[in-house]
Amino acid sequence: MSEVATAATTAPLVAGSAPARRPALYGAAAIGALLFAWWLATAIPGFVPSRVLPSPLDVVARFAALIAEPFSGATLFGHALVSLQRWGIGVLLAIGLGLPLGVALAWLPPLRAVVTPAFELLRYIPPFAWVPIAVLWFGASTTTQAAIVFIAAFPACIINTQLAVSQIDPILVRAARTLGAGWATSLARVVLPVAAPTIFTGLRIAFSNGWMALVGAELVVGKQGLGFLISQGQINDSAATILVGMTTIGVLGTLIDLVLQRVQRIALPWKTAIARPLE
Amino acid sequence: MTPKMEIRGVSKTFHARGGTVAALEPCDLAVAAGEFVTVVGPSGCGKSTLMMIAAGLEAPSTGDILVDGKPAGPAGPRRTVVFQRFALFPSETVAENIAFGLRVAQVARAETEARVAEQLELMGLARFRDAYPHELSGGMQQRVAIARALVVRPDILLMDEPFGALDAQTRTVLQEEVSRLQRELHYTVLFITHSVEEAVYLSDRVVVMSKGPGRIKREIAVPRDAAWRGLEIEEAGTHASFMQTKREIWELIRAEIVRH
Repeated sequence: MSEVATAATTAPLVAGSAPARRPALYGAAAIGALLFAWWLATAIPGFVPSRVLPSPLDVVARFAALIAEPFSGATLFGHALVSLQRWGIGVLLAIGLGLPLGVALAWLPPLRAVVTPAFELLRYIPPFAWVPIAVLWFGASTTTQAAIVFIAAFPACIINTQLAVSQIDPILVRAARTLGAGWATSLARVVLPVAAPTIFTGLRIAFSNGWMALVGAELVVGKQGLGFLISQGQINDSAATILVGMTTIGVLGTLIDLVLQRVQRIALPWKTAIARPLE
Repeated sequence: MTPKMEIRGVSKTFHARGGTVAALEPCDLAVAAGEFVTVVGPSGCGKSTLMMIAAGLEAPSTGDILVDGKPAGPAGPRRTVVFQRFALFPSETVAENIAFGLRVAQVARAETEARVAEQLELMGLARFRDAYPHELSGGMQQRVAIARALVVRPDILLMDEPFGALDAQTRTVLQEEVSRLQRELHYTVLFITHSVEEAVYLSDRVVVMSKGPGRIKREIAVPRDAAWRGLEIEEAGTHASFMQTKREIWELIRAEIVRH
């Protein structure tokens, strides 16, 4: 039974293997069908006005144009880079603070008692509700955008780290102690590696929350970024620009997730090791 | 001669609702160098508590743990522990698990490798050196745990019901292997079990505990030159002297169970 479960979870990791290829094929077919339906809707004269929904080919042409020449202050790459930079700063900050604090909350019950109520209260203020106060504090700057990313990404980092660390069997830490390990060694060689899968799950949520919050914030504040690009598309009555921006946002978000999954696989060989019969 | 480890006047009381509960009355127990001492007793007699205190993982309410006549201090590699639930580090391979204590002690790389290789050989783990714990059977996992505890050359090895989570066949094999290692290499061991047969088969001395609260009831020596030494456990169990010792211990424990 466990053998089967392990095989099922590790199957997609084996690049190009038969069971992994088929779902990928279905997925590609679904995206293809979607694109075809879109094209069909725009190809029938008078069915959908191109002002409302431009054809996929118009969007591709707009995509090429946005890559070649600046629109609203930057090329598509420029806007994407600005967004990625803001996202990166916010997310790194969320990890840098969330991981150590998560460990501290798991290991220090008094700290948990002090911090948890305030944290829970703050957690239910949506990231967007912080935009006005962030603008007041930091102006329409990278700092403001990064702060919104941080606010969106931080809870998933800290909550999952705390959960992961508090779920570790204390007997492992005891075993490490009897072998001479101090708390720092126990943390580095036992606690964090064992907690890592759950922490990675938290990072995935944090990364996507941060990305979504950023685009939202860029719609309202700032002079660059993908969110800004699509708001400019609306002002200029260019549905194609909006669709290029939306697609780029979706594709970059997916790529971020794929990169993280790849990192997780490399970082946690023991989680992905295929159970092979040894006895 | 100073014993290798001495448990001197160790007791443990827990604070519960509206008062204190004595888990362990003051206990005295000495383990000589090269001696294999087993503690047996009914569930709830405090033998695991005694073990955790001996390991330095729990503080006694009174009393001291001495190693070579000096206070043992906090937990550390002079007293390593083999736990019932193996407690292997899941993110490390077999070889990395075994090397853990040596790396913590910053033993030179070449020596670490040599000592790990020696343990892998000794415990029959050589072909599993790069496997992760979850890829191994329970018996193999416990071999890794024993190797990991022995490789640091502890003053005393503490084994807390190490075969309690294994199936009957695997348990028998490991009992015979530990017995063989002990006869060849003369480790100093404090062993905890609820199996009387296991206690007699492995030990030089069996300590019987009683419960409510836990205390040491009797110590029974098992001669090192008994006729059944070196035999497989099945066969050893048919010897009259083995059965005699086993019955004697079992009567002591039965009285405890019936009393409550």
